[in-house]
Amino acid sequence: MTNTATNLPDDLRARLAADFEPVRALRSPWARALSILPLAIVALIAAPVAFDVRPDANLGWLGVWGLSIAQSLIGVLVIGAALRESIPGRDWSRAAIALWLALPVVAILAITVFSWEASPMSLRAQWWLVGGICFAGSAATALPVVALSSILASRAYPTRPLIAGSLLGLGAGLMADAGWRIFCHFSEPAHVLSAHLAAVIMSTIIGAMAAVRDSRLRGEKHPLHEPIRAGSDHRDRSE
Amino acid sequence: MADDLRLRELMREYQSGRFEAFDEIYASIAPALRRYVLSQSRDAAKADDLVQETFLQMHRARHTYDPSYPLMPWAMAIARHVWLMDRRMLSRRPWAPDDVTAIELPVKGEAASFAERADVRRALGQVAPARRHALIQHHLLGFSFKEIAERAGIAETAAKLRSSRGMAQLRALLKPQKAQKPQQ
Repeated sequence: MTNTATNLPDDLRARLAADFEPVRALRSPWARALSILPLAIVALIAAPVAFDVRPDANLGWLGVWGLSIAQSLIGVLVIGAALRESIPGRDWSRAAIALWLALPVVAILAITVFSWEASPMSLRAQWWLVGGICFAGSAATALPVVALSSILASRAYPTRPLIAGSLLGLGAGLMADAGWRIFCHFSEPAHVLSAHLAAVIMSTIIGAMAAVRDSRLRGEKHPLHEPIRAGSDHRDRSE
Repeated sequence: MADDLRLRELMREYQSGRFEAFDEIYASIAPALRRYVLSQSRDAAKADDLVQETFLQMHRARHTYDPSYPLMPWAMAIARHVWLMDRRMLSRRPWAPDDVTAIELPVKGEAASFAERADVRRALGQVAPARRHALIQHHLLGFSFKEIAERAGIAETAAKLRSSRGMAQLRALLKPQKAQKPQQ
C-alpha cells in the first residue's frame, strides 16, 4: 500500500518525467550581474561619444568620469541585488530592500551636490527642452539595460517580481544616467533631480512593469489555475 | 526529515539528471510543505493541490537552486509563491461552480424532450473542468468570451475553444443516453 503523503503521486511523476532533463544550476547572481558590464560600458560612453564630454574643467577627470564610473558600478551592484532577489529563498529583507532602493538615490544626490559645489552650472533658458532631452535620453539609454537584466532575472524564478523588477530598473537607470551626466554639463540640482533622477525613476517603473508582466505571462504559460488535483484524472490538459 | 546536507545532495543529483532523487526529496519535505500550505489555506484538499503544484514549480525552477544553500528555504519560498499565485488567480476568476448538481439549468420546455435536466447535469459533470467552466460561464451565466478570457487569464480564442469543445463533449455525452432511452 502506498503512502500518498510521502510518495510522489503518479500524475505528478508523469508530468515531471515528460520534460525532465539535466539542468545546469545558475551561477551566483553577482557573477551573472557581471554579464551586464559590457552594456554598462556602452551606456556609459554612448552619450559622450554621440555628443560630447561636458566642458567642465572645475570637475576634472575624476569629477566627470570617476563619479560616473562609480555610479555605473553601483548600478551593476543593484542589478546583482535584483538577480539575487529573483532566486527563491534568497530574497532580501525589507530593511535590505529599503537600503538597496536608497543607495542609488543617495548616490545621485551626493554626486549632484558635489558637482554643483565644484562647478555650478545653471540652466537659464529652454529649461523644459533641455530637461526633456536629458530625461528622454537617459530613459532611452536605460531601456536596453532593462531588457537584458529582465532576461537575466526571468531565467531565475522571481517570487516577488515587483521588487526584482524595480531593482533591476533602478540599476539600469543609474547606469544610463551615469553616461548622460558625462555629456550634460548643467549641474543645477533642480535640473538634475527633475530630469536625470526622473529618468532613473522612470526606468525603475519600466523595470517593475516588465517583471510583473513577464511573471503573469509565465503564470499563464504554466497555468496555476489548472492545478493538479490530488488523486484525480488529468488526461485532458491540452487546453 | 532527512538532514539538510542529504537534501542538498539529492537536489544536486536531480539537477544532474537522476530523476529518482525527486522521490526521496518528496518523501522528505512534502509533509512540511503540506503543513505550511495548510496553515495558509486552511483547506486540506486545497493544501494537497498546492503541495503538488509546489513540486511541479520546484521541478521547473530546479536550475535556480544553489546546492551550497539549504533546500528548505528555497522550497518554502516556492510554496509561498504558489499559494499567493493561487489566491491571486482565484480573486481574478469568475465564480464557476464545480458542483454542477447545484446549478439551476434554464432548460426550456421543448428542450426537455431532448434530455432531462438530470441527464444534462450528470453529463455536465463529466465534461473536463476547464471546458465546463467556460461552457457554464458563457451559456448559463451569460459572460462574453472576452470576459471569460480576461478573468481566466487566457486568450479569447482559447475561451471560445474551451466552450465549443465543452459543448461538443456535452453533446457526445448526451447522445448515447438519447439513443438508449427508447430501448429502455
